[in-house]
Amino acid sequence: MTNQAKKRLWKRRLSRVGLYSLVALILIWTLAPFTWLFLTSISTQAKLNAIPIQWLPNPPTFEHYLAMFDPANETGKLFLAAMRNSLLIAMTTTVVCLIIGVPAAYALSRFVFPARNIIIIAMLATRLLPTVALVVPFYIIIVGYIDPVVGMFDTPHNLIILYTSFIIGLVVWIMRGYFATIPRDLEEQAMVDGATRLEAFWHIVLPLTVPGLVTTGLLAFLLAWDEFLLALIFSRTPNAFTMPYFVFIVGSSQYYQSPAAVAAGGFLAALPPVVLALIFQNRLVSGLTAGAVKG
Amino acid sequence: MLEFLKAHFWHPLTHVEFRINRSDRWFAFFSLTPALLVTILVVFLPLLYALYLSFNKAEVMVVGGRGSVQTEWAGFNNYLYFLKDKSFWQGVRVTLYFTAVSLIIELVLGIIVALVLNQEFYGRGVVRALLILPWAVPTVVNARLWGLIYEPQSYGAMNGLLQSIGLTSPDNAINFLTSVPVFQSVPILGQITSWIGSTSAINWIILSDTWKVIPVVALLVLAGLQTIPIELYEAAEVDGASAWQSFWLITIPMLRPMLLVILVYRTMELFRVFDILYILMAYTVPVVAIRTYQEAFAFGLFGRGSAIAFLIGLFILLIAMVYINLINWEED
Repeated sequence: MTNQAKKRLWKRRLSRVGLYSLVALILIWTLAPFTWLFLTSISTQAKLNAIPIQWLPNPPTFEHYLAMFDPANETGKLFLAAMRNSLLIAMTTTVVCLIIGVPAAYALSRFVFPARNIIIIAMLATRLLPTVALVVPFYIIIVGYIDPVVGMFDTPHNLIILYTSFIIGLVVWIMRGYFATIPRDLEEQAMVDGATRLEAFWHIVLPLTVPGLVTTGLLAFLLAWDEFLLALIFSRTPNAFTMPYFVFIVGSSQYYQSPAAVAAGGFLAALPPVVLALIFQNRLVSGLTAGAVKG
Repeated sequence: MLEFLKAHFWHPLTHVEFRINRSDRWFAFFSLTPALLVTILVVFLPLLYALYLSFNKAEVMVVGGRGSVQTEWAGFNNYLYFLKDKSFWQGVRVTLYFTAVSLIIELVLGIIVALVLNQEFYGRGVVRALLILPWAVPTVVNARLWGLIYEPQSYGAMNGLLQSIGLTSPDNAINFLTSVPVFQSVPILGQITSWIGSTSAINWIILSDTWKVIPVVALLVLAGLQTIPIELYEAAEVDGASAWQSFWLITIPMLRPMLLVILVYRTMELFRVFDILYILMAYTVPVVAIRTYQEAFAFGLFGRGSAIAFLIGLFILLIAMVYINLINWEED
């Protein structure tokens, strides 16, 4: 082997080493904090207070997880209520947003009519408007005017309605993009053959957009699951409070027990979205590319 | 270059070929009405109400579970109060600092990570799949998680890490989340950081917030990178361009639409930051969202709260307009 060739070989090996070290660095940085959350959650108090720091719990304990699922336990009661509320609220919000948003998205992608562009921009605006700009009027309307007539404050349906306000725009916006990729000829052909618009939409267009519906529904679910500010203001009791609210109070109020309990609660709150995201990783990235959603 | 934006964000009227007929008109009406009603009732009317409230002194009395609202016309007093309030402007500066620094870190590191992932290496698919994890962690959990890491005792993870590599000693655990501006010992820099509000706490929180966002920015940029035809790079190489030159002359211009979208969305997300700062710092980092919450729900001053809320809403909508115009302008 000539000197030149040797040099080139070494250069290539070196750049491979560099590449793999960078990848390792990225991977460690991405996974380490979440791993620490899990390690904390299975630690005893003695391990958590050890100096110098003890990285791995030895032996691990699952008592904090068991406590979460124990209805007789004070924290467990709150956790189970929060989990139930979060599932109920996030799933209902997703379904409501899809039922209302998908037909609207279809109409906006297919028909020309006056004010069409204004509606599109208004939908985008609802997506972009920060929740904090709406909480004050929401609070006054709900506490001052609606609650004295029908119970609203601290109920799941209140949160579902409010969550719809910022998720519907996302659904319309992303689904409009998906409908735009479906060729019109398909429906037109069906309608020439005697199908109505509704039939063409239901039997031909909608089945073709199932991947889009799944992605959009998933994003809507994740957004609803993640929401904190509205849950903080509009829930007080296990009647309506959600997982983020639970993770908040379990770490900083009279419910506080130990860092390990906070970590266990946090880990369980993160589990459903993390598992969903890992399973549907590819779909989510394409959905985010289409809607460039949340951060 | 604009295919991406055109395909996903803008469908000019000219692209719609067929006209709306009578039966379609009813279909359109029924499919749009629910979405429009919801949007008007739950977004636009409350926003107008916030505008009305911002000109009033508003109080909510809750007696025996029944609330009542008292309003008293106050003109521009709520707005004037903030214009004259030094701590409000401090809050605006902190918000801008948080937004700008996070944005730069997210974009630069996001692009670097994407470039690394665009190389071929063993296990690339798995690494890419795992990158979505931080984004899926709810913001509240993210706050709690970093709260544990920044524990101001020797058994906290960050302190433990610094001690393991010998940077600090176990007797002097660092309190990361303090409200002391950084670089106080450096003469001019120390004054600048105090003026901006660049405290130790906010800088460490920027690190935790960017942890959640960098991977997803990287995945989006990676999706963009993979649409760039390889021929462009080959042609550049034939012409003798260095890797650095083809990055600035091919990669960045081709990613422009994608970066623009990320930039605008992230600006709006960052400007409204609330969860992580409220959970870790309560009211001590006065970003605009926290100030709004504090005025309305801690002090019960709903008129003032509405005034800031409306200003934030207006500001965000302005950015949105700029963004929509940019896309239109690029299309012409």
